[in-house]
Amino acid sequence: MATTPRQTRGGGKASSRDEDRLSDPLIDRDLARRTGGLAEHARRWSILPGSPWLRVVIGVAILLLLALVVTGARAADGFVAVPAHAARVTDQAGMLNPQQRSALDGVLADYERKTGSQIAILLVPSTAPEAIEQYSIRVAEAWKLGRKGIDDGVLLVVAKDNPSSLRRLRIEAGRGVQGTLTDAQSKRVLQDVIAPHFRQGDFYGGLAAGVSAIATLLDKEHFPAPPGAQGSAAPTDGGIASGSASASGGVAGMAQTAGAGGIPGNEGSNATQNAASSRSTNGPGSAGGSGDGGGWSAGWLFPLLLFGVFVVLPMLRGGSRRGLRRGGWGSDATGVLLGAALGNALSAAAHRSSGGSSWGGAGFGGDSGGGFSGGGGTFDGGGASGDW
Amino acid sequence: MRNFLAMSVLATVLLSGCGYNEFQAKDEAVKAQWGEVVNQYQRRADLIPNLVNTVKGYASHERETLEAVTRARASATSVQVTPEVLNNPGALQKFQQAQGELTNALSRLMVVAEKYPDLKADASFRDLQSQLEGTENRITVARQRYIASVQDFNVLARRFPTNLTAKMFGYDVKPSFTVENEKSISTAPTVDFNKK
Repeated sequence: MATTPRQTRGGGKASSRDEDRLSDPLIDRDLARRTGGLAEHARRWSILPGSPWLRVVIGVAILLLLALVVTGARAADGFVAVPAHAARVTDQAGMLNPQQRSALDGVLADYERKTGSQIAILLVPSTAPEAIEQYSIRVAEAWKLGRKGIDDGVLLVVAKDNPSSLRRLRIEAGRGVQGTLTDAQSKRVLQDVIAPHFRQGDFYGGLAAGVSAIATLLDKEHFPAPPGAQGSAAPTDGGIASGSASASGGVAGMAQTAGAGGIPGNEGSNATQNAASSRSTNGPGSAGGSGDGGGWSAGWLFPLLLFGVFVVLPMLRGGSRRGLRRGGWGSDATGVLLGAALGNALSAAAHRSSGGSSWGGAGFGGDSGGGFSGGGGTFDGGGASGDW
Repeated sequence: MRNFLAMSVLATVLLSGCGYNEFQAKDEAVKAQWGEVVNQYQRRADLIPNLVNTVKGYASHERETLEAVTRARASATSVQVTPEVLNNPGALQKFQQAQGELTNALSRLMVVAEKYPDLKADASFRDLQSQLEGTENRITVARQRYIASVQDFNVLARRFPTNLTAKMFGYDVKPSFTVENEKSISTAPTVDFNKK
């Protein structure tokens, strides 16, 4: 369970980014100011008369606050944040007008309804200081385009103002589509289909042509049809027909794996929308955080319960359980167990808070809940980068 | 019988409480990520014969560069690291060095290829070039994920109280990728405009 937050934030890069962030002098100063304030509080409080227990409690509270401050600082990093995953076409660079945006969105939604494959477009001003492929893999990992197990997601990223060394175009191909949307084909789509339009300033034309080229390539691969495509009697490949939502199509077996993916959505469906928005208020919506939360409480409560029943009770009853007492390691075991439970709980809490705040920073917390989320597809960095 | 039951439940609690299960899960995650790393390096090695042949068609007199790539490929594919040997830093180092040499040889080849306009216009060379680029990116991603999974494992192996479990069962901290040639990166490159 400890792996989830990091993975969703971009694999190994996350660690080095965290260090970068912490070593940022600006943030350091900021942090010092804030933590200095806390230390001030602590000093004032320690003057107060109070039992040692009260002091311990206050100390723990201060530590927790400190942890919150630190994770808050980590969320503000020097890298471009992964945008909220609210629509199939996300335009942060102002390259499309609203009609064009919704037209492209409609085409992509329609394509997903028919084939189940998810294609998304992201237009950002810049990905500096990262190269576009480093940025796009982070987005792809967070958005989880494509269906789980089929991995038929494609992400098209345009970074309009990137310097040429960081590249301005990127197709990120899911694992499952690389049979037809190969690296070479992706490069051709970028260079021969999209780039000519872009060179003339026709962004909409380039994106439309690029999307249809990608869709044509995906059609050559025969992915399993989405449930609901053949009619209302939908065969669910995940084995679970999830109530009213299954009529909207696109809800395969993902709904039951709460944290693993989102619900492959469909704007028309209220049920899906509600599910998606309730999820995003939950925290890292499609990125697996809600499942993490559930696993957290069960994960350490259960051993604690067992510990109570099988260790504490016999000890209280005394005598008869010689096996537990012999060698005098009963108390040691208590310490270790308590330590383990505490350690788990603390680390889980830290993960939860860091996950929550970082996703909030990336815009997930305040997301009003679009009808679109990834289905749990995976990416391995395949695709191509290009320029125009 | 009741004693036995209590003991086995206690053992379960102790082991799961001390992260034994987590060690197993994370160990498997590290192995899986390593498999992906090797897979992508292999993919790159498989591209090279075609690439070399295509370049040879246009630039046969760049023998030295072409042979360097072929040699580096041969030595890189001869170093295989199975997950079982992963705990050995020396083996990982050797693997990394061999692959790093291949990376260097390949980038020299691509620089040389820039000099031949006919080659650059060749459709199959362009395809190979984008495949190579995509594979290099996959390698980067796979390495990052491997580093992250190793870090996860190592944190567990060092953190209290799971470090006690690690000691008890002999789970060592796993080695990870390092920067290939730290020295050459940390020394500033000399720029010489007089050479030509």
